[in-house]
Amino acid sequence: MSLWVMVAKMAEGLTRTCAIFFLTLIFSLPLGMFVALLRMSRNKIISGVTRFIISVLRGTPLMLQLLAVTYGPYYLFGVTVSRNKLIPVVIAFAINYAAYFAEIYRGGIESISKGQYEAAEVLGYTKAQTFLRIILPQVIKRIMPSVTNEVVTLVKDTSMAFTVSYQEMFTIGKQIANSQTSFVPFLVAGVFYFVFKAIVDFAMGKIEKKLNYYN
Amino acid sequence: MKKLLSIMFAAVLVLSFAACGAKNEAGSNKFIMGIDPEYPPFSYLGDDGNYTGFDVEICKAACEKLGYEFEVFEVNWDEKLVQLDAKECDCVWSGMTILDSMKEEGYVISAPYFDNSQVLLVKEGSGITSSKDLAGKIVAVQLGTSGEALLNDELSDLSATFESVLTCDSFLKCFTELDGGAADAVFVDYPVAASYVSEHAGFTILDEELGGEQYGIAFRAGDEELCKKIEGAVAELVKDGTYAKIAAKYPDIVDSLVFLK
Repeated sequence: MSLWVMVAKMAEGLTRTCAIFFLTLIFSLPLGMFVALLRMSRNKIISGVTRFIISVLRGTPLMLQLLAVTYGPYYLFGVTVSRNKLIPVVIAFAINYAAYFAEIYRGGIESISKGQYEAAEVLGYTKAQTFLRIILPQVIKRIMPSVTNEVVTLVKDTSMAFTVSYQEMFTIGKQIANSQTSFVPFLVAGVFYFVFKAIVDFAMGKIEKKLNYYN
Repeated sequence: MKKLLSIMFAAVLVLSFAACGAKNEAGSNKFIMGIDPEYPPFSYLGDDGNYTGFDVEICKAACEKLGYEFEVFEVNWDEKLVQLDAKECDCVWSGMTILDSMKEEGYVISAPYFDNSQVLLVKEGSGITSSKDLAGKIVAVQLGTSGEALLNDELSDLSATFESVLTCDSFLKCFTELDGGAADAVFVDYPVAASYVSEHAGFTILDEELGGEQYGIAFRAGDEELCKKIEGAVAELVKDGTYAKIAAKYPDIVDSLVFLK
């Protein structure tokens, strides 16, 4: 196999890797906020249940969650397994990452001092206004480094999708490696991941800079 | 920034739709072959970037005979029976060792088509000439293969003499462990060892068969009819010489094909 065919084949897989990456972020970032708010709910039952769910999602391997989301419905209810593997893969990734994002958001929100809420109340802000206009902008600034951390991890975690036969870049790389008995595909994969991560770093750096409006 | 974001969104949407279009709901005429894409020479990614291999070519020819639309599904070997159950493929046909446990679970298994044996691959000049020389040595084996099962079960007396068994998730890693000196031998299916030795100098296969087994095709429970049809089509291929013609392309395995004996 020529290097060109190898790279082309893996680039084809890279488009699927990108699909997992972007779709996971699109769904998990808002979902995480929702989960964080549930987690901080004053209602003991809601916050307790959410806490339990988060601990299950963070305490079991992503690989297992991928299997559960893909094949669980079939074994439990006889639901046909989706032919488009992207759907269960993105659902599993989005749920898993939402759990991590939720804890990051919670840390950010709880780091804002109580005095600010009291000041806002005195100034006549409603609760929603206080959260959206005063608290959230500060939270986003504070949590950006942790979010970047998770996003970079996600770049590499996409390779986990091989568990359910989703043909993303690393899976194809492994197939080429085994058919050609060569380690070159792993090198190509490494370069792909590194470049991908460099682009993500660049984009996140831009966003952080934009948010740095006070300095 | 906004523009860039909207372009990225659009790209993702197009991609996900493209992915949707790739596979349709299982039609009546479609035959989906489940393969391990990392198992040369039976099923692997060919030089042109398409799946090929002995099993793939035979299945393709059989589907042509039966008028089926041929499609490949890449199984995750550890989960192959789950994926078969879940109707992601109609059969698992990829140098698969027939195990009694499969029949006990109700899977329909075709007549065996390949006599396999497990062999030990060692470095030339290592001084290892039989399995007895492996006492105190490290032996690599692929996770989820019948070789691993043998070492844990029937050959557990032998594996007890090893210093340890090194379990890798692919053959390539087993061979690399051997080449790199971390393992002293690889316990592997004969055809895989043979194709490796033919491409790489400095390795030999020990002349000692450690466990005979046969390859077959697995279908879901209740798919006896489909199994019969495929077996029939393969029999026709044997009769009209197509089978031998395809087999000739894979010299490493041709001697062990049941239908050509």
